[in-house]
Amino acid sequence: MQDAFYLLAAVLLPYAGALITALLPANARTVAWLAGGTALLTLLMVVLGYSDIAAGRIPRVALPWAPELGLSFTLRMDGFAATFAVMASGIGFLVVLYSRYYMSPDDPIPRFFSFLLAFMGSMMGLVLSANLIQLVFFWELTSLFSFLLIGYWQNLAAARDGARMALTVTAGGGLALFAGVLVLGHIVGSYELDAVLAAGNLVRAHPLYLPALVLILLGAMTKSAQFPFHFWLPHAMAAPTPVSAYLHSATLVKAGIFLLARLWPVLAGTDAWFWILCPVGLITLLVGAYVAIFQHDMKALLAYSTISHLGLITLLLSLNSDLAMVAAVFHIINHATFKASLFMAAGIIDHETGTRDIRRLSGLNQSMPFTARLALVAAGAMAGVPLLNGFISKEMFFTEALTAATTPTLLHSILPIAATLASILAVTYSLRFIHGAFFGPETDDLPKKPHEPPQFMRVPVEILVFACMVVGILPSATVGPLLDLAARSILGDATPEYSLAVWHGFNLPLVMSLIALAGGVALYRLLYRHLNAGIDGTPLLERLDGRRAFDQVMVFISWRFARALERLMATDRLQMQLRLLVCIAFLAATLALLPHGLAPGGVQLTPVDPVVALMWVVGGACAIAAAYQAKYHRLAALVMLGGAGLVTCLTFVWFSAPDLALTQLLVEIVTTVLMLLGLRWMPKRIESAGSGHILARLRRLRDLAIAAAAGLGLTAISYATMTRVSPDGISRQFLERAYTEGGGTNVVNVILVDFRGFDTMGEITVLGIVALTVFALLRRFRPAAESVGMPEQQQGEARDWLLIPAVTMRLIFPVIIAVSLYLLLRGHDQPGGGFIAGLMLAIGILLQYMAGGTRWVEDHLRVLPLRWMGFGLLLAAGTGAAAIAFGKPFLTSYFAYADLGPLGKLPLASAVIFDLGVFALVFGATVLMLIALAHQSVRRPRAAPPPPVAALPEPAAAAAGEN
Amino acid sequence: MNGWQQHLAILPIALPLILGAIMVALDEHRWRLKAAMGLASILAMLAAAAALAVQAHAGGAASLQVYRLGNWPASFGIVLMVDRLSALLLLVTALLGLAALLYALAHWQRMGAHFHALLQFQLMGLNGAFLTGDLFNLFVFFEVLLAASYGLALHGSGVARVKAGLHYISMNLAASLLFLIGVSMIYGVAGTLNMADLAARLPRMPAADRPLLEAGAAILGVAFLVKAAMWPLGFWLMPTYAAASPPAAAIFSMMSKVGVYAVLRLVLLLFGPETGESAGFGNTWLMAGGVVTIVFGAISVLGTQDLPRLAGGCVLISSGTLLAAVGAGQIAVTGGALFYLTSSALAIGALFLLIELLDRGRDLGADVLAVTLEAFGDGDDEEEQQGDDGIGVPIPMTMAALATCFLCCALVLAGLPPLSGFIAKFAMLDGILNPAGLGKGPALVTPGGWALLIALILSGFATLLAMTRAGIRNLWADLDRAVPRVGAVEIAPVLLLIFVCIGMTVAAGPVMRYMQATAASLHTPQDYVRQVVGRPR
Repeated sequence: MQDAFYLLAAVLLPYAGALITALLPANARTVAWLAGGTALLTLLMVVLGYSDIAAGRIPRVALPWAPELGLSFTLRMDGFAATFAVMASGIGFLVVLYSRYYMSPDDPIPRFFSFLLAFMGSMMGLVLSANLIQLVFFWELTSLFSFLLIGYWQNLAAARDGARMALTVTAGGGLALFAGVLVLGHIVGSYELDAVLAAGNLVRAHPLYLPALVLILLGAMTKSAQFPFHFWLPHAMAAPTPVSAYLHSATLVKAGIFLLARLWPVLAGTDAWFWILCPVGLITLLVGAYVAIFQHDMKALLAYSTISHLGLITLLLSLNSDLAMVAAVFHIINHATFKASLFMAAGIIDHETGTRDIRRLSGLNQSMPFTARLALVAAGAMAGVPLLNGFISKEMFFTEALTAATTPTLLHSILPIAATLASILAVTYSLRFIHGAFFGPETDDLPKKPHEPPQFMRVPVEILVFACMVVGILPSATVGPLLDLAARSILGDATPEYSLAVWHGFNLPLVMSLIALAGGVALYRLLYRHLNAGIDGTPLLERLDGRRAFDQVMVFISWRFARALERLMATDRLQMQLRLLVCIAFLAATLALLPHGLAPGGVQLTPVDPVVALMWVVGGACAIAAAYQAKYHRLAALVMLGGAGLVTCLTFVWFSAPDLALTQLLVEIVTTVLMLLGLRWMPKRIESAGSGHILARLRRLRDLAIAAAAGLGLTAISYATMTRVSPDGISRQFLERAYTEGGGTNVVNVILVDFRGFDTMGEITVLGIVALTVFALLRRFRPAAESVGMPEQQQGEARDWLLIPAVTMRLIFPVIIAVSLYLLLRGHDQPGGGFIAGLMLAIGILLQYMAGGTRWVEDHLRVLPLRWMGFGLLLAAGTGAAAIAFGKPFLTSYFAYADLGPLGKLPLASAVIFDLGVFALVFGATVLMLIALAHQSVRRPRAAPPPPVAALPEPAAAAAGEN
Repeated sequence: MNGWQQHLAILPIALPLILGAIMVALDEHRWRLKAAMGLASILAMLAAAAALAVQAHAGGAASLQVYRLGNWPASFGIVLMVDRLSALLLLVTALLGLAALLYALAHWQRMGAHFHALLQFQLMGLNGAFLTGDLFNLFVFFEVLLAASYGLALHGSGVARVKAGLHYISMNLAASLLFLIGVSMIYGVAGTLNMADLAARLPRMPAADRPLLEAGAAILGVAFLVKAAMWPLGFWLMPTYAAASPPAAAIFSMMSKVGVYAVLRLVLLLFGPETGESAGFGNTWLMAGGVVTIVFGAISVLGTQDLPRLAGGCVLISSGTLLAAVGAGQIAVTGGALFYLTSSALAIGALFLLIELLDRGRDLGADVLAVTLEAFGDGDDEEEQQGDDGIGVPIPMTMAALATCFLCCALVLAGLPPLSGFIAKFAMLDGILNPAGLGKGPALVTPGGWALLIALILSGFATLLAMTRAGIRNLWADLDRAVPRVGAVEIAPVLLLIFVCIGMTVAAGPVMRYMQATAASLHTPQDYVRQVVGRPR
């Protein structure tokens, strides 16, 4: 219970603090105290836990999160995790304290502290995770908050670019880590850290070991800024200095190292581990140190030095040696203390002088003596000067390099030399940092007059520097127990004997240290002139510009590569899309049929009637002709379509389906008329000279082939389906139940309004929606200028060109209404029904429009199609809903015969009311579309658009679309 | 289950239909009344969907509610079927509908005719498609939702909408035609339209008829894949969604899921593991097509210049992921995919709404700059070398809210922690790598599974890149942009959707339990069939 309390508090406190801070008003400086208090409390929780660990217990807490996925929220703190937790919360507290003075009063400070605390929480979650997926979860969160912190001054371009680069590299690496952890979990069969750590042998022998290793290492290397992913770290220095001190030296960048050490028992110990990590660590160590020397910006110098030290730790971890592991953990602690204090010192200098350029700074020793002392000690630790903590871990590193060199490979044998070289470079850049800023003549050429910072701004630096010294002088008494616990929690019983002491006697590592110190001083003297000449860039490595490479890769990926591929893989053209659709449908059906083949069924075929056959040939010819003429002769194509429709209608009659035939006929009429009305406003299409071109012909031939193949295929499967004995399906039941249970003798109508009335309800809704859409589309539509003029037939003398038909049409209007009502009422038992009747009535209106013109009709008749539609839909749905009132399911029908005495019996089915709804909707929708089209003739065209300019395709297209 | 409860299933269809019908008849200037009716309708739908989900989940392993329309027996009349899957999708639809409607209240509702009625019909179509247990009725509801979507895609008018809308209509009409062909072939061979009845008849079908049925199913599948925008059938999607008005696009983020739903339902019902010879029909194609769609979506996301197209690319990635996950044919993957479906639909909906808010008060062309500046270098990186004494610029509340929302959408869509996208991806990938369950014996991962893993990770990275680029340009870099005027009613729906995503993260356990129960019953359709048709297989 107690475990649960402080472990959970250690992770959740910072988040809670972040949340509260975020809600405070901007520029509230009290925020700092809140944040500091939170960090301090967090540290207290860790210390509470630490006392447990010291007593030999590993506190853990598990909350169920998604147990189905093997995910639980599990925290666990062993010695190693505690080390990191202490750093994250302890240095976090110091950084908050420091920020209180560093950040300007004008900065929107709540946002800063909120992100900082959230980052702290993520870091705590990361190091305390007992589940690998949860670790990845917090891992990505640290990347995210690092991104937000680097971009805190989002008004600076450098901050934006640095933030984006950091996020891209680290979150990208995080995704690789995610994949790697998934593979690792797949191998082990669990994501729980304990289970994974116990399965080392299984993992290393598994065929998937290498992919898992590479993916996990990618995650670690990107996070810990290992070559070639190191370039993001210097650019992350655009963040406020406290952020750099906290994230980019002490915690975030150590996360990769943390992971390597955490999974060390599982992944290390193989050749692959060594051969990937060792060269990477070595190159990072040397390149980082070398480039650091030539940085003029103090923070950049420190950033490269951080890269170099991270390389050193990676190198140590790569050696597959238990002692090297201990050295690595020790160096992690040491580096965090001296590097954080150096960053803070650099921040103080920047804060008090206004610049961080080493070339401009000089002689600050006079104006800020205290800061100078502190920086001197910290830089000494960085350089590995005896009696400071950096010295001891460096000695251990030298020892390890020498031990490893006994293995007879080239890489192993050059390690001592490389280690010494790197130390020489480290001494050089440390000297440059100190000497450049604090020594030499005092300068007046600074943006601000330098003076000591506020006392409390210095306190964090003092504490850290004090730690450097104490650990450096009395290592085993101070850091000894912590280090022991940390090493033990990774290595377990295999923890080797080691001795933390300043003096090990006069041995080879000490000689190497002395060489490094002397060599470093000599190298600094040698380079002094060059460094102060103010030349930008690193000699010999000018070409190594990670940022330019990154930018180029980004541009390549998101611009050239993506667009080229998109052009290759996609099309904007409708023809192409439809072609693809037909081809794929054809292929899909063919592939499905291919394994078994397609055989016609065994139905006894009736002999072909020559008249019907001829009719069908005519119908087919009409359809083909319509397609052939559709491009340039729309009217002809429409007439042909009518022909094909008529043949279909006759076919229905031939096969005794009067309902279908009637419906088909009316639909043909209405659609043809509506399309004719639409054609009136389409600009004429002129057959251009290019259409006869050979390529165009080939294209059309290809399309013909596709169309023929698809058509024949459809014919084949239709034939095969229809020649099969119809299975014992639901169709027979329709016939049997139509009268007995549906109360109607017209089976088609009973199916439509009763058995499958739900379908009908949906379909009339579709019709209604389509009408609304057509109406909405045409409401804003204005005819093109060239189609506004009266057609030839209506011009000139012949004013009364439609007189006799017009009179006839008006006269039969009442007849049409009567017939339509008749069709509606008899629908349940005889051919007819709401749909047919609705269409019939709409045709009546249509004729009036044709006869009298839009204005005349609307002067004499108000149809209100929207009301009809609403009423119709409501009636249909209401009939369905009424059944619910009787406790029956939706659309349950009721029928009875009303005895009207001498008039006979009147069938009364609730389905008839439903049919009435269908009638009203069909009528309303059809008329609405008609009116929308008809109203075009009443409208004036828009003012002619400006002539399209050739260079600007957009307006031209716009104009074309608008007309 | 008695009284009103047994009619709950029809409410998500009947209510929007009735209210929509009334709205059609009402005049355009009664928009306040219409908005109130629409809001009431969607809230009722939300409540009904929640109640149905609770019912379905409480009912045990094979819980299914069959609603026989017209009181006709199943397979003869039409039935609605409420299981966990349909209840879940109803719930997501209602949430997105609510968000779209709230957002439209600010001004989109009056930018064209009949917005409210079309929205109701759109919801009716979606709900019907998720509820129906009849193949032809599914076609009808596809038509309803597509017809309404044509209207909504054109809502607000303008050249871009009309242009993209016509492509959209043409493609989807052609797909509907294929749908009809497929359905009639299946009916011709099997003699039934009821999905469960079909599943029951399939194992007993003579071998000679099977190829025809499979061809019908293949054609039907192509129609569904057009709606799901699988490559190379989905080129219509990006222009249409990008051009559509934000509320319409938010609803559309659910519409592309309908195709996926149909594939998921029918593939597992008709070609599930225990359906004899036809088992696993088309799975390889789904997997391959899905992975290619993910890749294509990722490429579009990377190469695109403007935010709406970026969101469209996310829809493609989401569709591809779901199709591939269905193609994997494993219970655990399906469970994860359902989680993913929910979270990605909500996040994409939120993103579409958000984009318009971001666009306000901004000079046009910033999107173009985002990409081209990269190509030609920033040009402004020298100006602020000594920036450490830089002073932060306070971010106005509005911008901070918008930025937070954008960040959340980006996190969900890129599948990064801490939001639901991460859990969804984890659930799917875990399922792929450990088909038998974690640590339950050695399992063989198929090549398709590896391909999906790689595609998912890389598409996440591509989304991250594109989102960061767009976000930085829009939210950080544009220093002197005017702060957009955002009404509370506009940001509220975005927040609503994001809060649901956050809720799904926190309550990942119960939510995942629901998804996995759903997946498990989808993969064992025998109970489903038994409850509908009432005879053992």
